[in-house]
Amino acid sequence: MKRVISRPDAPFPIGEAVPRRDGIDKVTGAGRFTVDLGMPGLAHARLLRSPYPHARIRSIDTAAARRHPGVVTVVTADDLPDVHLEYGHAVADHPMIATGKVRFAGEPVVAVVAEDPVTAEEALRLISVDYEPLPFTTSAQASLADDAPVIHEQPGEQRAHRGFSEDIERTHPNVCSHSKQAWGDIDDAFARADLVLDGEYRYPRSYAYAMEPYNAIARWGEGELTVWTSGQHPYMVREDLAHCFDLPLSAVRVIVPYVGGGYGSKSYTKVEPLTAALALRAGRPVRLVLTIDESILTTRGDAATVRLRSAFDREGHLLGRQATILLDTGGYAENSPLVGRKAANRLGGPYRIPALEVTCSVVYTNTNPASSFRGFGAPQVTLAGESQMDEAAERLGIDPVELRRRNVLLPGERPWANARGIDADLLADLDLASEALDWGSPLPPGRGRAICLSASDAGSEPMSSSIVRVHHDGSVTVTCGSTEMGQGSSTVLAQMAAGEMGVPLEHVHLLQSDTAAVSYDRSTGASRTTTLMGLAIQAAAQDARAQLVQWAQENLAPDGPTVVEEHDGVRIGDAHHDWGAVVRSFFGGSAGEVVGRGYIRRHGATAEMPPFWEIGCVGVEVSVDESTGVIRVEKLVTVGDVGCAINPQLVEGQDIGAAMMGLGMATREELIYEDGNLMNGNLFDYRVPRTTDLPELVPIIAERGDGVGLYGAKGGGEGSLNPVAAAIANAVSRASGIRLREAPFTPERVWRAIQERDGATPPA
Amino acid sequence: MHDTVDVALDVNGTPRTLSIEPRETLAEVLRERLALTGTKVSCDAQVCGACTVLVDGLAVSACTYLAVDADGRAVWTVEGLATDRELAPIQQAFIDHAGFQCGFCTPGMLMAATALLAEDPSPTREAVIHGMEGNLCRCTGYAHIVDAVLAASGTHREGEPQA
Amino acid sequence: MIPRFSLARPRSLSDAFEAFDASGGDAAWLAGGTELLQVMKMGLAQFGTLIDIKAIADLRGLQRTDDGRLRIGALTTHRELERSPLITEELPGLAALEARVANVRVRNTGTIGGNLAFAEPHSDPATFLLACDATVRLVGPRGRREMGVGEFVQGPLSTARDPDELVLDVVVPQRAPSTGRAYEKIAFFERPAASVAVRLAVVDGTIGEATVAVGSFTEVPTLVPEAAAAFRGSEARPEALTEPVRTALEAFGGLDVIADLNGSPDYKRHLAGILLGRAAEGALAEAVAHA
Repeated sequence: MKRVISRPDAPFPIGEAVPRRDGIDKVTGAGRFTVDLGMPGLAHARLLRSPYPHARIRSIDTAAARRHPGVVTVVTADDLPDVHLEYGHAVADHPMIATGKVRFAGEPVVAVVAEDPVTAEEALRLISVDYEPLPFTTSAQASLADDAPVIHEQPGEQRAHRGFSEDIERTHPNVCSHSKQAWGDIDDAFARADLVLDGEYRYPRSYAYAMEPYNAIARWGEGELTVWTSGQHPYMVREDLAHCFDLPLSAVRVIVPYVGGGYGSKSYTKVEPLTAALALRAGRPVRLVLTIDESILTTRGDAATVRLRSAFDREGHLLGRQATILLDTGGYAENSPLVGRKAANRLGGPYRIPALEVTCSVVYTNTNPASSFRGFGAPQVTLAGESQMDEAAERLGIDPVELRRRNVLLPGERPWANARGIDADLLADLDLASEALDWGSPLPPGRGRAICLSASDAGSEPMSSSIVRVHHDGSVTVTCGSTEMGQGSSTVLAQMAAGEMGVPLEHVHLLQSDTAAVSYDRSTGASRTTTLMGLAIQAAAQDARAQLVQWAQENLAPDGPTVVEEHDGVRIGDAHHDWGAVVRSFFGGSAGEVVGRGYIRRHGATAEMPPFWEIGCVGVEVSVDESTGVIRVEKLVTVGDVGCAINPQLVEGQDIGAAMMGLGMATREELIYEDGNLMNGNLFDYRVPRTTDLPELVPIIAERGDGVGLYGAKGGGEGSLNPVAAAIANAVSRASGIRLREAPFTPERVWRAIQERDGATPPA
Repeated sequence: MHDTVDVALDVNGTPRTLSIEPRETLAEVLRERLALTGTKVSCDAQVCGACTVLVDGLAVSACTYLAVDADGRAVWTVEGLATDRELAPIQQAFIDHAGFQCGFCTPGMLMAATALLAEDPSPTREAVIHGMEGNLCRCTGYAHIVDAVLAASGTHREGEPQA
Repeated sequence: MIPRFSLARPRSLSDAFEAFDASGGDAAWLAGGTELLQVMKMGLAQFGTLIDIKAIADLRGLQRTDDGRLRIGALTTHRELERSPLITEELPGLAALEARVANVRVRNTGTIGGNLAFAEPHSDPATFLLACDATVRLVGPRGRREMGVGEFVQGPLSTARDPDELVLDVVVPQRAPSTGRAYEKIAFFERPAASVAVRLAVVDGTIGEATVAVGSFTEVPTLVPEAAAAFRGSEARPEALTEPVRTALEAFGGLDVIADLNGSPDYKRHLAGILLGRAAEGALAEAVAHA
C-alpha cells in the first residue's frame, strides 16, 4: 500500500489498517442483510409490471387473483385512498404504484400479497390489465421535440424544504428541472481564444448493480410503522413514509442492517412506501423482495449528452467553458434534479476558469427512472471536460499533464465565488500519478497513456448528529445514522470514536442506522460519512469528555487540585482515573453512563460549502486490439487525496472498486432500449467487470491533512470513478489516433472509429 | 396441498432430512428451511456466483440447482467453513486482505475459492484470476480478493471440502 | 421463481417414456437444468411435470466405440468433457471449448445433451460438433434415430427432437491422420458474439478436405462450404492461410446474421473472419502434430 503522509499524527487507531469490524459477520455468513430477515406471520408480495413504455390504464381485473388459494390481498392504486401515493426527493412525481397511467415499461401496476412468493407469482398470472398504449420517447432529445408525448401532464409537487424550488422550471412539459452555473464574461472568453474546441459527449444509462436487490419488510403497530430496508438513507425514507401515511416522524421507525451494495442507487426512497401500503392492506407484516431484473427497472444512473465548448489561449490556459447538458431521468424525477445541479457545478473540474456558462436540463423519457449514482454527474461531465483538455494539449503541442498543471486550482483557490477554496494539492496529485504511470517514458506501439482529474463539490449537507455513551466500565457505545454498505463505516467510525475517547478499539461499539435508536443523520452518500459523521462523533466525544472532566472535578476532587484532562481519562495529582471511574463517581459508585452529543450543521468549520472537495486523479495505460476494437486497460493508477485515511486499507479498497466500476461504465456498461423496451435488463446481457478485467493497479493514498474532517480528513469513494472514462478515451486517442466521445467505448464503436480513421467506410 | 418429495442431504457435515416441494432450489432450502442465510441470491441467472455452494465438492449455482438434486449428496456452504474454534484459512485471508466490502458476494467468493484451492492448492495469480472469473463483485474491484485467495493458498486444511 | 411442478425420477428409459406419456405431454426432460430451469424462472416456459433423467444409465458414458469413434453420453457434463483425458487426447478442440463454456458452476451441472437439445444459437459445442460431422442420436418411445448436427438443429431453440424423445448421445468420428479440429470464439457478454470451427486435413503439405462451421451470430450453427473451399489446395503453413481466410470472409458476407446485443451484422462477420484465421491455424497445428 502506498501512502504519502504529510499531515499531523492522529491518535491510534485513526490512520491504521485495522481489520474490518464486520469481518467475522461477512466471512461466516452470519451477518444479516434485509433479505435475510424474517418474522412470524410474514406475508410475501410480488408485483405485476407494465409491458408498455407509456400507456393509460383503462381497467384492471383482479377477481381471479383475489380468489387464488393462498392470496392474502391484491392491491392497486384504487385500494389506497387513505395513502398519499407520490414520493420523490426533489419532485414528488413518483407514485408508489401506477395511478391511471404508466410511464416506463416495468412500472409496477398491481401488487399481490400471499402466503409465499410462488403463490403470489401464480396470482399475478391471473390478473389482466387493459392498457391504452400512448406514444413514447426513449431519448432526451426526442422528449424535447415540440410534438413529443407529454410524460407528466401535471408537474409533481416540488420539495422546496429539501432545497428544490428555483430550478424546477418547465421550459418544456418534459423538462423536469433546469440548473445553471455561470460566472465571468463567456463571450469575451471565446472572442479572445487562440483555440476553441467544440464537441458532444455521451454517457450511457448505467446500472449500479448493488448485488443485494431492493427489498423491504413493513410491519404496522397501532398507529406506528416499522420498516426494514436495504437503503442508504433511513431518515429520508422515514420522512417519506411519514408523509405518505400521515404519521408523525416519531411513529415511523426505519431500520437498515448491512446493505448489500449501494453506490448511490439505494439513496432515498424506493420500495418502502409500497411495502408499507401492502402491509396496511394485508393486516400483516409484508416482505417485498425484487429480483435483480426488477431492481434494474427500479433505478439506473442518468444518461447524459454534454455539448461542450472550451476556449484556450496559446499557452493552454483555459479561458472559458460553455456547456449544455441533457440528463435523461427516465419516467420519474427521483434525484436527477440534484444530479443536474451537481453536473453543472462539476463541469469546471478542478480548474481555474475565468468564465463559465453551464446549463443542465433534466428530461423525462419513458425509460426506467434515473437517480443518484456514484459520481453524481461528475463522470458524465468529466468525460467531456477532460477529453477536451487532452484534445487541446494535442492541438497546442503541450504535454497533457503540463497543460493540467497550468490550469489546476491551487490550495485555497475558490472555483467560484463563495465556494470553499480547493482543499487539495492537485499539483502534488499530478506528480504522484505521473510518477506511478512512468509518464514520459517510451511506450510500445498500440499503447497510450492518460492522466485525468476531477473535482466534485461533495459531502452533500452537513446535517449530522451523534451520541457517544461512556459506560461505567469505560467502554463506549456510539450511535450514528450512517449505514454500512461496504464502505466500512462500521469500522472507520469506531476507529474515530476510539481515537477521540482514548479507549481501545475493542471497547467501542457502534449502533447504526435505526431511526428509533440513533440520532439524526441526513444520509450516507456523497462520500460524506468519514468527514461529517466523523466530526459529529468527534463533537459528541468532546462533549462527553467535557462532562466527564467536570464530573471528575465535582466528584473526585471537589476541593482541588485541578483535574487534568488526559487522552484516556483524567489525572488528579499523581492518580490517573479512567473514564469508567469518573462515570461511577457521578452516579454514586457502581454504575451509570455519560451521554455526549454532537451536532454538525452549517456552522464553524462546516459553514462553508461544499464541506470538502472530492478529488479524482486517475492514470491509465491502455492497449487497443485494432482488429477487434477491444480496449484493454493495462495499468491503472489512482490517487486517493483524502486528507487523512482513517483506515488506509479501506480507502484503497474503495478507490480500486470505484475505478473498476468506472472501467465498466467506460468500456461495456449501457442499458439499451429498443421500441420502448429495455433489451438487456439482466446480468446476462449487461456486463459488469470481472476478475479478468483487472489491470496492473497502483493505488496511492495522499494524506496532507487539508480537509475539514478529523485530522484533515476528506471523503473518498467516488473520486476514483469520475475521471476513468475520460482517461481511457484520451489514452486510446494516444494509442490509436481515434477520438471516442460516446461511452461505453464498446469494441464495435472502437472498431468503427478505426475504420473511419483508415478511410475504410464499412457498410452500416 | 402441493406435491412434496423427501430429500436427505448432508449439509456442512450434518445429515438433514426434509420434505420439500420439487420446485425448491437449493438456495431456497438452505436459506428458508434451514435458516442458513449465508448463501445469497443476487442475479438469479447463474452469472454472479453469489449463491455458490459446493455439492460433492463441485461449485454450483444454488439459485438454479434443485434441492432434490442434492439428495444423498454432501452440501457445503459458507457456514461450514469455520470450526467452533477458528476461521478457515480462506476466511482469515479475506479479513486480513480486506477481500470484501458490502459482503453480499463474499459467501459465494469463499466457496468458489475453496473449490479452486481444493483442486489447485498453489495457484498462480493468473490461475486465481481465471478460476474466480465466474464470481462477480461490485464493491472491491477484485484486487484484494485475488490477494486473499493467493494468501490462503498453500494453507489448505485437512478435512476441508474436497473435489 | 421456478413455478410449481410435479417431479418424476425414472431410472430407466422405458420408465422415462412412460412418465412422459402419463403427463399427457405437459412435461419436459430435466438434466442439469441450467437452461430449462432458467427459462421457467423467467416465465418463458412452464411444464406440469419435470422428468429428471439423471439416474438413467443409458444416457451416461464417455468412451471410444469399437470402430474408433467417440461416444459422448447426453448426461456428460461440460466439466467432464473439459477434464476427460480421452477427449483431451482425441478431440482437444472440444476439451478447450468446454473449458470456456459459461462459468465453472454451469460447467459442473450443464450437460452436452441438454445444451444440444436447447439449441441456443450461441451454443459452443453445437458449432464445433457440426464441423466435426458429429451424429446426434435420439431415443424415444418409437425407437432410435440419428442425424447430423446440422439436421438436428433446425432453428433458434428448435430441434428435430420430438418432445418425448431424448438425446441419447453424440458420436464423433475418429480423427483421421493429419487432421485437426479447432474452435475459436469471441465473447463480450455471457454468450459468444461469434464462433468458428474448422476441420481440415493435410495431404502432402497441402490442405485437402476442409470444413468450416460458424455459430453464435447465425440463427443456427451453419456450415459454410464456400469458406471451406477457399482452404482446399492451400499450402499447409500458417503464413499461407491469409489469402484463403480473406476469400472465406467474402463467403461470410452471404450469411444471415441474427440481431442481438453483440453488434451489427457487419462487425460480427468481421469478427468471424478473425476467428476463422485463428481456428484454421489451430486446426492446422493439430493436423501437423498428428500426421
